[in-house]
Amino acid sequence: MGRIPRDYLINRIVTLFLTILIAATIIWIIPRLSPVDPAEIALGRMAAGAGAVANSEEILAQLRANMGIDQPLIVQYLKYLGGALVFDFGLSTAAFPTPVSTLILNALPWTLGLMILSLIITFFIGNLLGALMVWDRSPKLVRVAIPAAMVFTSIPPILSGLLLMWIFAAKLQWFPLTGAYSIFVEPGWNWAFVQSVLHHGFLPALSIVIVTFGFWALGMRGLMITVQGEDYVKLAEAKGLRPRYILYRYMIRNAILPQITAFALKVGLLIAGQVLVERIFAYNGMGKLLYDAILNQDFPVIQGVSYVIILMTAISVFLVDLLYPFIDPRIRHEAA
Amino acid sequence: MKAPVLRLTASALAFAAFGGMALAQDVARENTVIFDLDRTIQDPENFNWMTPGTKRMHGAHQTMWEPLFILNYGTGDLDPWLATSFTGNADSTQFTINLREGVEWSDGEAFDADDVVFTVNLALTNEEISSREASTLRAQVESVEKLSNTSVAFQLKAPNPRFVVENFGVRIFGSFLIMPEHIWNGENAATFAFNPPIGTGPYTLNSAASNRAIWDRNDDWWGAKTGFMDLPAPERVIFLESGGEESRAQLMAANQLDAAQNVTIGTFEAIQAQNPNVIAWHDGYPYAASDPCARQLEINTTVAPWDNANMRKAVAHIIDRSMIVNVAYEGTTEASQTMFAQYGSMDPFINAIIDAGYGLSPRADVDAGVALIEGEGWVKDGDYYTKDGETLSVNIHVNSASTEYTRTIDVIVEQLQRAGIDARAVPVENGVFWGEVLPFGAYEMSYSWLSCGAVNEPWASMGRYTVTDVVPVGERSPGFNNTARWDGPAAEAYSAIMADIASRPLGDEAIPGLVAEAYQHLDAEMPFIPLVQAAKLLPMNTTYWTGWPTADNYYNHPFFWWNHTHQIIHNLEKVE
Repeated sequence: MGRIPRDYLINRIVTLFLTILIAATIIWIIPRLSPVDPAEIALGRMAAGAGAVANSEEILAQLRANMGIDQPLIVQYLKYLGGALVFDFGLSTAAFPTPVSTLILNALPWTLGLMILSLIITFFIGNLLGALMVWDRSPKLVRVAIPAAMVFTSIPPILSGLLLMWIFAAKLQWFPLTGAYSIFVEPGWNWAFVQSVLHHGFLPALSIVIVTFGFWALGMRGLMITVQGEDYVKLAEAKGLRPRYILYRYMIRNAILPQITAFALKVGLLIAGQVLVERIFAYNGMGKLLYDAILNQDFPVIQGVSYVIILMTAISVFLVDLLYPFIDPRIRHEAA
Repeated sequence: MKAPVLRLTASALAFAAFGGMALAQDVARENTVIFDLDRTIQDPENFNWMTPGTKRMHGAHQTMWEPLFILNYGTGDLDPWLATSFTGNADSTQFTINLREGVEWSDGEAFDADDVVFTVNLALTNEEISSREASTLRAQVESVEKLSNTSVAFQLKAPNPRFVVENFGVRIFGSFLIMPEHIWNGENAATFAFNPPIGTGPYTLNSAASNRAIWDRNDDWWGAKTGFMDLPAPERVIFLESGGEESRAQLMAANQLDAAQNVTIGTFEAIQAQNPNVIAWHDGYPYAASDPCARQLEINTTVAPWDNANMRKAVAHIIDRSMIVNVAYEGTTEASQTMFAQYGSMDPFINAIIDAGYGLSPRADVDAGVALIEGEGWVKDGDYYTKDGETLSVNIHVNSASTEYTRTIDVIVEQLQRAGIDARAVPVENGVFWGEVLPFGAYEMSYSWLSCGAVNEPWASMGRYTVTDVVPVGERSPGFNNTARWDGPAAEAYSAIMADIASRPLGDEAIPGLVAEAYQHLDAEMPFIPLVQAAKLLPMNTTYWTGWPTADNYYNHPFFWWNHTHQIIHNLEKVE
């Protein structure tokens, strides 16, 4: 463990920016491979809602101008890249003329709150349970109960959500049925709002936790089995160290490293949210935003959300790369 | 956005400084009516309805912005609201709308002709305003002029007897909404957020967030002061995003919702089993109310063998509408008798068509259908008809966005298959369907509702199939009209009658007869095949509120996301 070499840091930062640039370019190109014209879609949406559309040529031309798709591709691309640098992804075509950045800023806090909380809970619970499944000093009850509890992991989150909603919200009425917070509080930094958010977030978070902790538990179990037979564990046992000390300092600490990498990758992906959970609980996060954008072929929003996902994933991996030596002293940064 | 971080920080500081209070004035549940919102309020801080996007149906045009008139679907009358009457000249190129006296904006300013002239001119002079209503007005109006504080004159570009109902009468969903000149003047109409918004309606905005908008009653509403109407009973109106059918069912069962968006019959029965206070438009089957856009099978009349009218008629005979009703819609709708939505206001025209012998049977006449096919030289060879070595087949494009659509097409495919036509469903994503398939004629047959429009007079639907809108396949049909590319002598004869109907004033006694005369061409050529009425099964909760619109308590239709919802709210009575 020690200072991060400058060359290594520069190398990683250049890689980070290249990754983001290439990914951003790909997500700009993909929608344009589609034969569908977003202005035609917007016009079609008008027709679907109310029949004939007068002045359709004029509307179409105006929509194309507003969406910026009447310009040459190279101009569109350069504008997109310039905008992406300052998180300006243009205007939503489905919620025109709302800026995409506004939609993302409105949705992101809810997903971050719900999903990161769920991820952290599942990460800790799953890894702890995975370790306990292998540890030979775990009580028998724990060894039996954990695999039984993992039955829940085979349930899709939408079903667990509906089940929890029916039991705890509809029948017992302990928790609210939908929404991210009560309709009777104003969003803001105050206890009433925070309390309402926690109250509303409990069931969605639980519905995610109970179906995802198995992923971490099974992964950890496999890693623990490998670590269990390592020489340093045998040596620690021979030295007469306390079993619980060996579990935490020797086994879990070594087995957890691949799980941390997986955690970093999940941080990026979880920005996309649990679409169906967000939908049934009317939780207006990034998953629902992306889901609606795909349904409406709202390309600017799809690009904006994808960009944020890429950014989060790339930055998470970048940070984990830098943090590894601090977690495992055997790992050293090497200059390029 | 130029500096998102700055904005985020500013928002956080603003929340810290001003936000975070519980709503200042709590209103008891029994004084609150909660409507279902089927979408997220994407930008809760923007109330500029003139840009396309959703900035009205979260309660803004149901509680705050009032229309000039409201079309009654039962009688066909235009019920006066902010306006009291209108007159038109003989050739329907000039209209004068008379406004109600004493109308006020919620900030106390008078609502008058200046506001109407100002808002109409906004639409006429700003092409970047691309909402459907603004664009329609731009296409129709040459100029607008204030005659007095309560009188406005419109000069149209071309005769249009339907001008007032089309633009100011809440014909379908919304109407051209008048904005306060004293607030909008000097603003860029394409970008102005209009926040905080005001209106003339009996409710003002309390707050809006992405999942709900709360509107509180303005006890100083002009309508109560002038004697136009009493104050509505609900003290608060909430539009709440429910999160989908499963959630809205739970909310309805738990009395946390008073009116819900469309549900399936299974969900409705489950709700009723838990909450017997929940009702629908009808007491029993079909439960649902009819939406204005009746469903139909569109046919591209340029593609062989469906360019042959007898082949199209054959398909019309083979389709069993009652089976579509029972299987695809589970009994929640009814078979269409004509191309029209079956409202009371349309009865004269529907009856004229049926009396002339052009009404459709709900049952199939497969024998008549196959006789027409065989008459065209097709021979049954195994399961399918063939001719010159070619199998009789058809691809039917269907929007995959709803099971309503795909289930209907599955039933039709099955019926055609049994009759010897190798029919296939081609599910297409929503955007592709409306953006690429329908307008460009890129289909043989498709399931849609392109006759949508007629709710009080026939032209709005029938006028969509004239030869003036025929373009080659691959070019976009103007305004989504005549995507069937129906042309030829019968279409021309039909179009001539349509031109006659188009120029006649609403209510002209000759119109029903002309409709029947024109319909003979549709019946003979079948450029599309009417199927069933569009069903909307809307659960309404009588635990806290009664007076909901139903078939037995008719004052208008129940679509509470439309601009006419002012009528619904005024009719609600608190359960004591």
